[in-house]
Order: sequence, then structure tokens, then C-alpha cells
Amino acid sequence: MKTLTAIAIVLTMWSPASAGAAPAKAASHIPTSVDEIKAPPLRRINMPEPKRVQLDNGMVILMMEDHELPLIRGAASIHGGARDAAAAKAGLIEILGSAWRTGGTESKTGDELDDFLEARAARVETGGDDDSTAVRIDVLKNDFDTVFPIFLDLLRNPAFRQDKIDLAKTQMNATIARRNDDPGEILDRELNKLGYGPSSPYAAQPEYATVASITRDDLLAFHKRFVHPNNIVFAIGGDFDSAMMERKLRDAFASWPRGPQAPAAPTAMTPAKPGVYFIAKSDVTQANIGFVEPGIQRNNHDYFAVRVMNEIFSGGSFSGRLMNDLRTKRGLTYGVDGGIGAGWDHPGLFEITMATKSGTTLESIDAVRKQVGMLRTQPFTAAELKQAKESILNRFIFTMDSRQKMLNQAAILEFYGFPPDYFRNYTSNIEKVAAADLVRVARKYVAPGDLAVLVVGNEKDFEKPLSTLGTVTPVDITIPELNAAPSTQAAPAASNSEGTALLQKVTEFTGGKAKIDAVRAVREVTSVSRDTPQGVMDMEVESTVEFPDRHRAVMKMPMGEVTVVMTPDAGFMLLPGMGTRELPSSQRDAARTESKQDLLTILKHPEKYTFAVTGTEKIGSVDTKILEVSSDGDTVKFFVDPASGKVLRKVSRARGPMAQGDQVTDFSAWGTFGGITVPTAFTTSAGGKQVASGKLTAMEINPVLDPKIWEKPAG
Amino acid sequence: MKPIRRSLWSLALMLALTAGSLQAQDLASFEKRTTVRRLANGLTIIILERHEAPVFSYATVVNAGSAQEVAGITGLAHMFEHMAFKGSEHIGTTNYGAEKIALQKVEAAYQAYDRERRRRVGRDEARVKELEKSWRDAMAAADKYVIPNEFSKIVDAAGGTGLNAGTRSDTTEYFFNMPSNQLELWAYLESERFYDPVFREFYKERDVVQEERRMRTESNPVGRLILQFLSTAFMAHPYGQPTIGWSSDLQSFSATDAMHFFRKYYVPANTVIAIVGDVNPSEAMPIIEKYFGRLPKEPLPDTLRTVEPPQNAEREVILHETSQPVYIEGYHRPAATDPDNPIYDTIEMLMSAGRTSRLYRSLVRDQKLAAAAGGFNGFPGDKYPNLFVVYGFTTPGHAATDLIAPIHAEIERLKTQDVTPEELQSVKTRVKAGLLRQLDSNAGLARQLAETQTLYGDWRELFREVDKIDAVTPADIRRVANETFQEDNRTIGFIESEKKPAGGAK
Repeated sequence: MKTLTAIAIVLTMWSPASAGAAPAKAASHIPTSVDEIKAPPLRRINMPEPKRVQLDNGMVILMMEDHELPLIRGAASIHGGARDAAAAKAGLIEILGSAWRTGGTESKTGDELDDFLEARAARVETGGDDDSTAVRIDVLKNDFDTVFPIFLDLLRNPAFRQDKIDLAKTQMNATIARRNDDPGEILDRELNKLGYGPSSPYAAQPEYATVASITRDDLLAFHKRFVHPNNIVFAIGGDFDSAMMERKLRDAFASWPRGPQAPAAPTAMTPAKPGVYFIAKSDVTQANIGFVEPGIQRNNHDYFAVRVMNEIFSGGSFSGRLMNDLRTKRGLTYGVDGGIGAGWDHPGLFEITMATKSGTTLESIDAVRKQVGMLRTQPFTAAELKQAKESILNRFIFTMDSRQKMLNQAAILEFYGFPPDYFRNYTSNIEKVAAADLVRVARKYVAPGDLAVLVVGNEKDFEKPLSTLGTVTPVDITIPELNAAPSTQAAPAASNSEGTALLQKVTEFTGGKAKIDAVRAVREVTSVSRDTPQGVMDMEVESTVEFPDRHRAVMKMPMGEVTVVMTPDAGFMLLPGMGTRELPSSQRDAARTESKQDLLTILKHPEKYTFAVTGTEKIGSVDTKILEVSSDGDTVKFFVDPASGKVLRKVSRARGPMAQGDQVTDFSAWGTFGGITVPTAFTTSAGGKQVASGKLTAMEINPVLDPKIWEKPAG
Repeated sequence: MKPIRRSLWSLALMLALTAGSLQAQDLASFEKRTTVRRLANGLTIIILERHEAPVFSYATVVNAGSAQEVAGITGLAHMFEHMAFKGSEHIGTTNYGAEKIALQKVEAAYQAYDRERRRRVGRDEARVKELEKSWRDAMAAADKYVIPNEFSKIVDAAGGTGLNAGTRSDTTEYFFNMPSNQLELWAYLESERFYDPVFREFYKERDVVQEERRMRTESNPVGRLILQFLSTAFMAHPYGQPTIGWSSDLQSFSATDAMHFFRKYYVPANTVIAIVGDVNPSEAMPIIEKYFGRLPKEPLPDTLRTVEPPQNAEREVILHETSQPVYIEGYHRPAATDPDNPIYDTIEMLMSAGRTSRLYRSLVRDQKLAAAAGGFNGFPGDKYPNLFVVYGFTTPGHAATDLIAPIHAEIERLKTQDVTPEELQSVKTRVKAGLLRQLDSNAGLARQLAETQTLYGDWRELFREVDKIDAVTPADIRRVANETFQEDNRTIGFIESEKKPAGGAK
């Protein structure tokens, strides 16, 4: 601040000399009441309406020139959202909203788009909501012509690459896992479910199982069902010439054929029975409390009266009845918020939410219930009506203080089929609301007896048991595990005789019990080709095993040598030029399970496993028997030629962060090394796609091992 | 001040937002539209004209925050911020003369009660009860004169929006938006709250603040983690104190304590007000001078003496929670005024901005260990030496500690390998565009101008920072990374889940 006088960028009537002059003249009168201050009339605002174009294929385009900054921003809003997905596929819209962009287009991967767009500080993004999806573009105007084709391509030809669907699913699963960590989040979510009813499309909740069931075909089908020009409103604003932009957009969209119309919004609700609902949460010092019953739709002719009543009830910054009573007068809460919600094309909810210390939970419930009751019993005063209407009317300017906002509002009206003058008539509709209207809508839409009350908290610290309010219905928010149901098809717990007999065949084929027992260590060299998103990567892997539990793999890759070492008490990686890194515990676990399921390890210690034949399958011309080998709940299947004892295929649960479903490895070309017979060629696939193949080029039984290879290098 | 309910995820998102690195989009055009004036009492006023619509936004930034608190009064900067909505001698009262006497009685009764209840030896419980009753009776008597929320009702009725305030370690900020015909009303209200604030309803508001603490810190696992993490990372500097305050202090400090804090730090020379929008300086300045010129000139408060000593051992905090794992680590770095600041900002962008960022590509995209990961500067503030923080939220089936090796691998890369010209250029381009995209928000600009003026003494630093980032070289990044990202300079904090993390992606 000291440098400020030096800066003195003082324009207008102040010369630098006057800076630092005497303080305000004593003569100037300071009001003692705000009533003394008379505001001049507000300067008339001169915001243009956006230009509207409807193409023959039904698509509506809204354009708004805005030359303040050299930017162009647009959004295609598309009918059809989460409410249109099957309940068994809950989470589809979130996966779609993410993989639509990250999964790239047919010509470019999402990763390539990231590099291209971020280098230009451009954004093309996709997302999904309850009732719609959207593709957005936000770009420096000079880049518009290079980036707009990407936007178009993404809108019409998304590739939904599987790796990015899997990434979106992993992130969705993280959201599910974390959804009970914050009490406020629990309250909002469960209140919504109580308000709409558990089977409502507005309350569908993604679970591990619903997420797992979502496939690429589901995403493609959703896209095909909804993304048609007649379901789209495209709003674009920024530093362009409208005539030129219109030509570009016509060129881009005019030839796009119509498709089926999106269905109408579902509006049925099955709200929870009135009463008290409770969710126990122990790691909190506050109770989060919510109240819910059905709200209204925006096109309801009572909307404006309800809007004014909401303002009196809970509007403004702190001046609503709820805040005034629960926060300011009683100090019970940091915040309480509520009102009758109005959806654009389906009913909203009448919700009230707050949080208070555990010891004032019932006191707060009582106070809120009284406030709700008073909407019907305590007259709305003239002062309240005046304060509410003035607040709404005077702040209305902030809904139209930028061209971007004007454009967005026009797009909303267009999307939900409201008349284009809706906002122009908004203030006169508010002005018309009279005290009698408030009384009428309070009687009509506020039903204190219909409210469901939900409490999330630590009941032992409440001042009184919740049951003093009547019957309490507990709500279970335990997150269902994915494998809860499918685990019934897990391997039999005990060996069966057919299994033990088949194991005997495999042991003989491999070299017999004596030779297998004599193996203390193995070193083998394999050349492996791995399919990665960047293409095929070739590497040579030298793998050393000292039974039972020391493993070392040296991978020679184009960027250098990577070594991974796993022993009972260490797990680390040596990276080229980067030194030693600890293996994450998840990778250690994956590696341990994999080595436990190695055939030679199993054959050396059959007492640690159970063996059962559970079926047959034809592989090529061979009718194989399926040998399920289990240990500590992990199961691997070997497909064995019963005549020879050869293992032709291995199927295991894929492991590690990149895992998806089962991993299938097919073996061929057996060779014998030091009396042990093993396959020398393999191909591995996952999710039906080949992920790797390889050839064994050398194998040494009981090599001489330097003990240092198991040690972590210093530094 | 106002309730904002934040989920864990929005917190993660907030953490991921860059602090506001900016560029020299068109400094000259901004200088033409900007008027800076220092009133005789030392108050700095910045007006940026933007006549798109008849509205304006303002931000008052007081150069005092929770870092100015000492033991016993933690949370007081924030408490005063709440009191700044309670009105003045003219706003919020039916009879100030009578109210003033009643409030003095409240204060005397509270002091008596507080002294007795905190006696370590020989406390008389019956006396405590009696004194508490006198205090509560005195409050009820004072409440009779209160017009609740009158200040905010005036703002609301005039069409004001976004009435709010925030307290940080470095500053306390007040802001809202108004139709532009209400400039005089605004000047009256804003000057009034700092001219003669009246601490009515202080002790009820203290309860409200304690509810805020329960919501943000006590009942939220990430809030609990951050509290432990910061108090571990800072041994001496007040950045280790929670801005919301320690519970004991919130239950004890008085309106008199708050008044002392106000008198010491809320002096005009310690305050910057920025106004952005449909305001004509030639008409506005006389009004501003009239109302704000009456604030008495006072000396600047002493600057903070305590400097965090160099860290010479790694520190770690582990929270055992039933919630999902979260990982955070921080490294001490110099204040924002340090010449290396643009290099730290560049590192932040490299690590966390967008889907090309290193932490996203490694932890989120490729290894799928984290649902979100990023790094940011300026925690918990940036006026004093602070922390560069890296964090991650795990995916199901992974422990927080699974993130350590991959995060450190990315940090090692910063130290040992030059960033490619393409990667660096992409960051610089986005920094410039990032500034541009913020220039059409009156409210955002008002806060940034006032904050920048407060921190650097010159609002133009907002634009110059972009030029400085543009000059950052790969060697700069390696040097700063090597100086900063050392084990002994690191504090690690994480949540370990008591229950096995629920698995969905096995």
C-alpha cells in the first residue's frame, strides 16, 4: 500500500496533488437513518435479446454477440437424462457424461483431445443431468475454426472407448464409496429419496452393481436415442458476427436428419409417509435435519405467489423467517434453508435443511415445525410482503446484467418450452402478488402434517430420544457390496475326487511329484508383447522365482530397465533414472495373489489349495475339464486336457488398477527344461480383447542366486 | 458468514482450483479504466469502470485474519466478521441510548460469570449458576432493543445480492453486489459497519460460530484432517491455528476481546476497498470521501514477528476414521512476494491443471489409484511463508498410503527431468486465457483487485504475474523443486479407514 501514492493512477477530477488532502469536510451531513438516502432511478438497461434460428430439422440455435472479450462459448443442451435411464443402470448418465469426452471421437482419442485442446486453452466438455445432457465449447475466438470441428465430432460421433468407460466407472465407484462420509451430503441425498419415493427416476441411486452392469453398448444406445437435432437447443455467445456464425452453424447442422423425439418428463411422485426417519452416524457432533414434502412445477399459475412466500420464509441474506428465528434469535444453527421448490418440467420438493449441535436436535425440529405451521397461521404482514417484493424486484437486474446471462435464460425457456417473454413479464407478475395470494398458496401447498422429518446424527447425544416425537423409522444407508450376490457362484469349499484325480494328471504331465518338489528356484526369460492404449509395447522379461514367495522381474523396455521385487517383507520397484519406489499395497496384493495362482507353486504345495472339477468346455478340438483351484477365497480355473494333463487355458480374476473382469490366458507349444514341462507360448485377453502375448525363450531350474537380488538398494 | 454446505467432493474441487494466476491480457486498457485513491485517513479505494450493466460489486479487504490471533483468542477475527452484520448505532436498534447501557451490563455480567466458571481452584458452582443467570437475563434485556438483521434487510430490499464475508488466515473480506443507483446507500452501510459497529447479540452469534465449527471441522473427516495437518506442519507460525478457532476460545472470548481486535486491526490504512462496475469515479469519489473519510486515522498495527523455523524432520499425522481414505502432504515454501512465486505457480499448473496434468495422468488416469489428485500453493495463506500441498482421494480398495509412491515419483520427475517445451507452453497459454476468462465478473475482479493490492501493494501485480510465469524456464522448475521437495521439509497427513474400504473395482 505504501507504493500506492507513487502509482497514483488517478484520472478524472483528482489531480495527484489532491491525494492526501484533508478528510471530508465537517460540513457534509452523515445520515442517521437510511431513509434519508434517496437512490436516483436505475439507469435503463439495454441488453439485446439473442437471435433465434430454427433449422428444418428442428434444432434451435440462439446466438448472442458479445464483443467485450475475445472468447466464444456455446452449449448444446440435449433432452434426455438420468431420469430416462433404467433403474438397473443407475449411474449411466454420470458414466456417459464423463466417457463421452474422455473416450474421444472416432478419429481422435480423448487423450489426444486433451493435449490438443489444453495447448490452446480451449475447453470442449460433456456432462449429464437429471433431464438432459450437454456438450459445451469455450474457446479463444481465434481458435474457433480449429476447435469447433472437434465439438461437432464429439457431439455426433463419440467413440466411448472402453478404457475411459472403465476409468469413469472407477471414479463413480469412488463416489459411491465416499457418499456416507459427510453428514450434509447424506441428508440431501436421502431427503430427495424420501421426497420423490424410492422408485422415482429422480431418486435413482448408483450402486456398485448398477455401475458394473453399464456397458459401452448402453452408452452408444443412449446417445443414439437422444442426440438428434430436434432434441437440441444450441446457444452460443461471444466475439463473433452473427451472420457469419449463422452460416457456419447452418453448414454444420442443417443436413443432420431428425430422430425420435425425447419422451415427456415423468411427473409421478410417491413421497414417503409423514413421520420421523433416522440415520445413525457416530462421528459427528451435529445433527443434520431435513423436512420434505412435494413441491410444485414452474408452470403452475401460483408460482409467483409461492416465490414471494418463499422469500418471506427463507429468502434474502439473513432476513427470512427461518434464519431470523433459528439462527439470529436462538443461535441454534449456522444455516437453515428451505422453501417450496419448482421444477421446470416436473414437480420440485418442499425441503428445509439445517444442522445443529446434537444436544439441540429436538428443540430445532420443534422450532422448524412451528415455522412451517406459522405459514398457515401467522399472517403475512404488509412489511413482510413489501420487503420480499422489493428484494425480488430490485435484485432482478442481476439476472440480466450480462449478455451471457441473457443467452442462458433464453436457452432455458426454449429448452423447457416456456414463452420467450417469460422473464420480461417476471417483475410484473411479482408485483401483482397480494397478501391474499400468500394465504391461499400457503393453505394449498404447505401441509405441515405431510412432512417427513429426517435426522442424521448421534442419537445418544440428543437432549431427548427421537421416539418422543412418535414412531421412528430407521433408514439403512449401508452401501451394498458388489460381490455380495455373485459370490454364491464361488468355487466349492472342498476338493472333489474328480478334482484330485485331475490334479494328479497335471502333476504327472509337468514332470512328476519328485521332480517338482526338487525345484527350489526358476529363472525364465520371456519376450512379451503388451497391447497398451499407445500401441503394442515389446519387452523382454527375466523372471526369477525362489519358492515359495520371492519373485523378481526385470523388464527391458524401450525407456530402460524396470525391476520389480516382491518378498515377504518388501515390495519395490527400480525405475530408470528415478531410483527406488515402494510398490503400492494394492499392487503388492495383486502380485501376491498372482504368484499364489502360478501353476508350479500350486503343484509344489497342493495341501494349501482345494481342487474341484466344475464343468467341461471345448477348446479347439479338445474337450477340457475345468479344474477350479481355490485358496483363501481366491479362485483360479485351469482348463485341462484330461487325456494328457496339459493345461490349455487359465482364467483368473484380473487384478490391479487396470483390471476389468476375467483374465484369460491360452497356452501352447510345450517344452521341457530340467525335467519340468511347461508351455512356451501364451496369449492373454481381458474383456474379450487381447492384452498380451509372449514366448518363453529360456528357462533354468535351480539357478545359482545371489541373495542381494532380493535387497532394496540403498538410497 | 452465510452457510455454504460443502460436500467432500466440492471441497476437493475447491482445493483443485488454482489460486488465481493471472496475466497481462491488456494491462494498459485496465489502467485507463482504473482509479486508485488513498484517502487522508489511509484507506485505499480502487474503482474499475465496467459499464456493461447498471450494477456494481465491491470487496473490502482488511489486512488482518486469523494469523493475527494469539492463544486464547483464536477464532476472533472470524467472530468479528460475523459481528460486522449486526449493525451500528443507527442500524439494528430501536433505542441505541438504552441499548448501549444494556450491552454494558451484559458485558459486566459475562466477565463476572466467565471469571468464576474458569477458576481453577475453589470454584463455587452455585455462584457460577447464579452469575450465568444474571448474564442471560442481561442479554434478554438488551435483546429488547434489537431489530434483528436490519443491516441485511436494507441490503436485500435495495436489491443487493451475494451479501457475505469471509475470514482467512491473511485477511478478512466483505462483499456484495448492488444496482448502481444504490452507490450512496452502499457507502453509508459499508462505512457505518466499520465506523461504529455495535456488538449486539454477540454471545448468540458465538453459538452460531460454534455450529459453523461443528459443521466444517468436527463433523467432516476432511475438516478434521486439515486441522491436524496444519497444526503439525506449523510449530511456531499462527498459520498452524485453525481460522475457525479452538473450541475453548470460542466458548470464552468476549465482546470486549472482539472490540480490542477491531480497534487494533480495522484501521483505514490497513484496508483496501475495490469497486467494479457501472461506477463513474468523478461522481463516486465525493460520496466515498464523505462516508469513508469519517473513519479516524490510526497507526498501522505492528507486523507479525513470528517466523516459522526451518523444518528439519519429516512429520506425519494419521487419522483413524470410518470414512474413506484421504491423503495430503505439504512442503514449506516462501511467501507470495518471493521472486520464485511464479515458478511455484507454474509447478502447481504442471501438477494439477486439467487432464494433461501430471497427477491426473499418473494417479487418476493410468494407475486409477485416485479419483482426484492435485497440488496447490498458498495453504493456508500466502502473505507469509506457507505450504505447497499435494493431495489425493483414493479409489475403492486402496489405502491412502498407496498414493505416496506415485506422488513422490511425480515430484522426483520435477526434480530430475526438464519439463518439455510443449508442456510448459501449454501451461503458459492456459494461464493467460485463465486471466481473460475472469475479466467479465465484477464480483471476481473486485475481490482480486483488493486482495492483490493488499498483498503486493499494487493491483497491477494481478497482470504482471502472467508475464512472470511466461518467463519461467525448465531450469527454474528443477531448481525450485529441488529446493522445496525434500523429505525433511515435508508434513504428511492421511485418513486411514477403520473398516476395510468398500470395494467396487476389484
